[in-house]
Amino acid sequence: MFKKLKYDHYGYLFVAPFIIGFLIFGLYPVLNTVFLSFTDRTLMSRTFNITWFKNFQLLFADKTFITAVTNTWELWLMNFIPQMGIAFLLSVFFTNLRLKIKGVGVWRMIFYMPNLMMASAIAALFFSLFSYYGPVNQFIVRSGFVAEAIDFIRKPSWMRGLVVFIQWWMWFGQTTILLMAAMTAIPVSLYEAALVDGAGSLQMFLHITLPLIKPVMIYILVTSLVGGMQMFDIPYLLTDGRGSPGNSILTNTINMYMKFHSSKGHIGAASAVGLVVFLMTSIVALLIFFLLREKHDEPVKNGNREK
Amino acid sequence: MNLSNHTLTNIQRFFVYLFLVVLVVITLIPVWLLIVNATRSTLEIQQGISLLPSKYLMTNYRILLSKGLDLPLGFMNSLTIAVLTTVITVYFSMLTAYGLVVYNFKGRKTLYNLMLVLVMIPMQLSIIGFYQWMSKLGLTDSYASLILPGIASAGSVFFAKQYLESIMIQDLIDAGRIDGASELSIFHKIMLPIAVPGMFTLGIFAFVASWNNFFNAFILITTRNKYTLPMLIQTLRGDVYRHEYGAIYLGLAASVVPIIIIYFLFSRYIVNGISMGAVKE
Repeated sequence: MFKKLKYDHYGYLFVAPFIIGFLIFGLYPVLNTVFLSFTDRTLMSRTFNITWFKNFQLLFADKTFITAVTNTWELWLMNFIPQMGIAFLLSVFFTNLRLKIKGVGVWRMIFYMPNLMMASAIAALFFSLFSYYGPVNQFIVRSGFVAEAIDFIRKPSWMRGLVVFIQWWMWFGQTTILLMAAMTAIPVSLYEAALVDGAGSLQMFLHITLPLIKPVMIYILVTSLVGGMQMFDIPYLLTDGRGSPGNSILTNTINMYMKFHSSKGHIGAASAVGLVVFLMTSIVALLIFFLLREKHDEPVKNGNREK
Repeated sequence: MNLSNHTLTNIQRFFVYLFLVVLVVITLIPVWLLIVNATRSTLEIQQGISLLPSKYLMTNYRILLSKGLDLPLGFMNSLTIAVLTTVITVYFSMLTAYGLVVYNFKGRKTLYNLMLVLVMIPMQLSIIGFYQWMSKLGLTDSYASLILPGIASAGSVFFAKQYLESIMIQDLIDAGRIDGASELSIFHKIMLPIAVPGMFTLGIFAFVASWNNFFNAFILITTRNKYTLPMLIQTLRGDVYRHEYGAIYLGLAASVVPIIIIYFLFSRYIVNGISMGAVKE
């Protein structure tokens, strides 16, 4: 104990690089973004004025911004729900003692692979596959499914569907691995005790599995939300980089990038977009985390005690 | 009764396997088409889908180069950034995590909570402030702005902390102190060698993330010969390549295949690593 105290101040030495790096590359850029969002600064001129909330007023009056926010939420939700659904199904299959599915490691390995692919390459790939003269059209026309090739790239619902599909395709494997790890970490003795008490499999799922995997589900939900709200590569490279057709896949980050990359380089306005989405996402993510986490502590402790 | 139960299980099992096979096909087909098309001529690609490779790999490569896309250079640029980012991320994450695990200093809990919050915050949205700050420092269009942020990677510290806690042996540290080793050399000579498997997993994730990163490089890098692979891919959609499908697919395949190889070599580390940061939280 005495010895430990003597050494404890060395901790500062070890964490100092992180703190300095965080201040330079993490915190200051955030503060700088906040500052820029109150100005009319552009990349083209050295002078600028403090305009306070003008950028934000313009932003909330701007239909494009509202569209981008709604799109991002919709695109994220539409991929997250089926992603969670399939992952749940797969983890239940893989951990089911009665079914005894063979080769779980191999299945999981294959399902996770798309997650490591370069998102920009995947978007460019799907752009080629679904282009007017691309392989998908060739296939459906030649095999007689449709009489005429479909102009996928100009159809909003098709492009939205594709963004959702690619996101789902890239992430369901990872979600499965996380859920499965949480399920296999549950002690078998809990289920045995429940069986003795005459519980059915649905009851066991609802009262043992679900409460115990809740922390991991929260982790998946929060990290997926944070990633989803920053979605850029796939919708950007799938069409013309402006969220076409008809702003249907315009996301927050594309919107921010377009302001940044406009002819004047409006970094004040771009920062305002970044800041609003940053605050929106952080608040929702932290709320989910802290609200759900408090509740889950109780049943776990109770469950352990009962056992 | 027993028999019918058994049959029921078999029927269920059949449908589960069927479902799995369908999912595998969905997972693999896009990647397979990409690789196969990289070896086919544009004419073949336009004539229809094939699941078998052809023999035009080198022709496509020559077309790609002739149109001014310096694939080898982009490859080397991406590799340089990814390797340096990996080294920096792994080293500093281990250093920070070691500090958090071994020493009970004032503010340790606060720092740990900061990491937790940082994982839940969309830091990428401060890119504009980051860009403007880097241009003040003269670091735009420089790899330093892509590599150095690896020093403060909250997610990696989180993983490293989880890992160090699981392998930490206090006696080894005490023994080192008795031998008169400094705290830093205990970390370097005793802890790091034990932590190699964890550092390896951490490194794979850092490498892949850096290799695939498009957005930051896209914002920060402007000089053509500093372009990374994903940035080159973005130029593939331009008019120059309009009718060179074979070459486009080859460019895409070149950025994806190295990762597939790494994955098949180290999938055990990767799959086990995914849940490490999350499950033991």
